[in-house]
Amino acid sequence: MSQSPFLALDGLVKHFGATKALDGADLVLEAGSVHALVGENGAGKSTLIKTLSGLYQPDAGAIRLDGQPISIDGPRSAEALGLRFIHQELNLVPHFDTVDNAWIGRRHPRRGPFIDGRAMRARVAEVAARIAPDLPLDKPAARLTPGQRQMAEIVRALMEPARLVVMDEPTSSLSEGEAERLHDIVRQLSAERCAVLFISHRLDEVVDLCDRYTVLRNGRTVGAGSVSDTSRAGLVAMMSGTEIAGTASGQPSLPLWERVGERGTASVSPDETIAAPAFPHPNPPHKGEGASGQNPVLAADLGFGPAGSHVSFAIRPGEIVGLYGLVGAGRSSLLKTIWGATPGRGLIALDGQVPGPGPAGRIARGMAYVPEDRRREGLANSLSIEQNLSLAHLSDFRALASIPAPSRAKIRAFAQATGARLRLVAAGPDRSPATLSGGNQQKLLFGRWLGRPIRVLLVDEPTRGVDVGAKGEIHGEMRRIAADGAAVLMATSDIEELLALSTRVLVLHAGRLVAELDGPSLTRAAVVAAAFGHAPDEQMPPSERSA
Amino acid sequence: MILLRRYGTLFALALIVLVFTIASPQAFGTMSNLINITQQMSLLAIVAIGATLVMVLGEFDLSVSAVVSFAGIAAAALFAAGVPVPVVMIAVLVAAVAMGAISGFLVARYRVPSFIATLAFGTVIGGLTFWISNGATMFSGIPAGFRDLGRGTLAGVPVPTLWLIGTAIVFWLLLDQTEFGRRLYAIGGNREAARLVGLPVRRDMVVAFALCAALAGLAGLLLTARLGSAHPTGGGGYLLQAYAAVFLGMTAFREGEPSVPGTLVGAAIIAVISNGLTILGVPSFLQDLLTGAIILAAVLVRNFGRDGD
Ligand SMILES: Nc1ncnc2c1ncn2[C@@H]1O[C@H](COP(=O)(O)OP(=O)(O)OP(=O)(O)O)[C@@H](O)[C@H]1O
Ligand SMILES: [Mg+2]
Repeated sequence: MSQSPFLALDGLVKHFGATKALDGADLVLEAGSVHALVGENGAGKSTLIKTLSGLYQPDAGAIRLDGQPISIDGPRSAEALGLRFIHQELNLVPHFDTVDNAWIGRRHPRRGPFIDGRAMRARVAEVAARIAPDLPLDKPAARLTPGQRQMAEIVRALMEPARLVVMDEPTSSLSEGEAERLHDIVRQLSAERCAVLFISHRLDEVVDLCDRYTVLRNGRTVGAGSVSDTSRAGLVAMMSGTEIAGTASGQPSLPLWERVGERGTASVSPDETIAAPAFPHPNPPHKGEGASGQNPVLAADLGFGPAGSHVSFAIRPGEIVGLYGLVGAGRSSLLKTIWGATPGRGLIALDGQVPGPGPAGRIARGMAYVPEDRRREGLANSLSIEQNLSLAHLSDFRALASIPAPSRAKIRAFAQATGARLRLVAAGPDRSPATLSGGNQQKLLFGRWLGRPIRVLLVDEPTRGVDVGAKGEIHGEMRRIAADGAAVLMATSDIEELLALSTRVLVLHAGRLVAELDGPSLTRAAVVAAAFGHAPDEQMPPSERSA
Repeated sequence: MILLRRYGTLFALALIVLVFTIASPQAFGTMSNLINITQQMSLLAIVAIGATLVMVLGEFDLSVSAVVSFAGIAAAALFAAGVPVPVVMIAVLVAAVAMGAISGFLVARYRVPSFIATLAFGTVIGGLTFWISNGATMFSGIPAGFRDLGRGTLAGVPVPTLWLIGTAIVFWLLLDQTEFGRRLYAIGGNREAARLVGLPVRRDMVVAFALCAALAGLAGLLLTARLGSAHPTGGGGYLLQAYAAVFLGMTAFREGEPSVPGTLVGAAIIAVISNGLTILGVPSFLQDLLTGAIILAAVLVRNFGRDGD
């Protein structure tokens, strides 16, 4: 690897209509290194790896493998070169088990003209034994935990010898323990001389895990080097371009929702509340008696999901209550039950009153919900970005209060304001959410509820895949909503986020509340201990697990 | 409970057979009647197996009944012109494959929703069929050798049943035991994932639609052979029943996915109901009513207890 690096991308350019997703992206990868690719939402990371995987053809620029210029004209040819991809959204077939998923797109082993199920399984078992011995092979992907699905994707990637595995935000939906597992696998791959290109917004993880980094901003490489020569803060500065505010050349060509100018001055600390800009509320914000009163805004006493699960708690105005637990503890089902989207047993009360049935009844009482799975539960791709933003409370946008016909101008104004507030990067408010980068889709999902009186906000992984800057903004919004007298219930697997935002933390284990932590008792160690304490066998380090 | 949900359709079939056997042991529960049922369900099941392929992709082909009618009329027209049997069969099947490929192409290449594409294209085929036949039943010049393909028995088994067995085996192997089949399930399960790993998504979709139409064409040929005549709307009844069979079969074996064995069970349920009710002398409007109600009930049972996931 002395003269020519294993893989080099030179000045890649990729347009989508008027959007310049890549605008001179360079990347140099050494064999066997763990290389971080970082950048804000919409910086072009996913586009870059989709170009490398042959899904997109670059408009300009070169890709060189072992010093030789190559062209990658489809996923098959990338595969043949030993390049493997784990894309940002999980891409398993839900009703296929691990074995069937691992073989999709590969030449199956055969007996005569027919596929040989036993040989298929044996091969997958062999690969899995090396990296994830406890991964169930016969369960459909739909019934695996997010961590297991990630493992299944990695197993699929390693079915044949690989020279490079690209992982696009693999840890964004994993809990601590699961992320650790994944890091171990990455280190193991690197030790076996397989390079890893690792995309993540969790910068601490990047600093821990990676040897080298490349920073993309507005589709262009703005920094690269050895991780040991930089720091978390250095990466953040490069990503946001704090020092080089307003770089005209680096913008995406249609910064519809203002971007660079403002960014230069904005703080990017994830924990800082950003002063809310003037913001047109379709209705004035609700300043209820709750702001000072001590009556709980939300009281719940209910069974949900699997039999035997039962929780009972109350949230007072102004509180942000964090909900933590291992994967499978029931956080998401609890939120969905409170939201009325899945049936539960028991009662919830909002400001002392039982809300009407289903989500509509909750919305009418000022409840809001941001679901976990943006692709499946969140966004309607057949509607435009602005229509998605207005969807949850269409009646707020009526031109005439008595006629149920939304005003396009009002929706547009709301979309502009929300977009600016969350710094949504999009080609235009009338485009499909499918054209947004992953982090921007998350912002869209959250933005839906802004500018609306909220009494109770339920959020499930509010900042999954969101860059540090936008994370700060989303956190700021949540704090503002709480400060307005609302109750916020937040499920997150990101412990930093949990500790930074929560006034109180409820720990869920197997459908029951096992701990309530606040004040001095609210520490990282206490949270983790409570989540794991009752199930020590779920947290064995990989080396102690048997196949 | 899980068993009931998982194999509910099989239980339903067993239950229905049991009820009819008790109600009419002499007429319904005999071996010869059971064999008769396999013959009665054969054409429906062949069309439904084709529909299964398309349903695996998560798409619909609403032109199947138009293709059945077209194939029947086209064959009769060619026979009237004196074309020999093998040539007629090949020509009709090729035409059917071409029709399916066109639907598939519209859906896969231009992303026309399959509902609309096949509804519209099926209407076109229907027009073509009326044009060829002048809207009349055609029955002249159909050779006896051809008619034997759709009636009579071989070693005691009705010939249509043999066609069904052959089709079912071939397509079961194709869907369950080949890479092509796995690809179809993968495309249906997660189209984006299939595209990302470089599966030939469009080509496979076109092939699936073409095979679906081929089976509809085969059913049309067999229908004309059995009846000795062809009517321009002869295939009309197959569309809804075929999809009912696929839906009924969706819980029978795989995890809620369409499959050939499941579709066979579904087609059997429909055939058994119709046979049993006829034997019991239930008037035909009541038969329709009961068949619809039973299909609804089966699908409802299948969806019960699924809210949880
Ligand atoms: N198919 C598409 N059509 C139009 N625009 C697109 C398309 N895909 C991406 N873009 C745009 O290209 C830019 C780069 O997107 P990309 O997904 O590469 O960002 P990213 O760095 O991966 O962001 P994130 O961290 O949010 O995942 C964004 O502005 C996005 O809106
Ligand atoms: Mg991305």
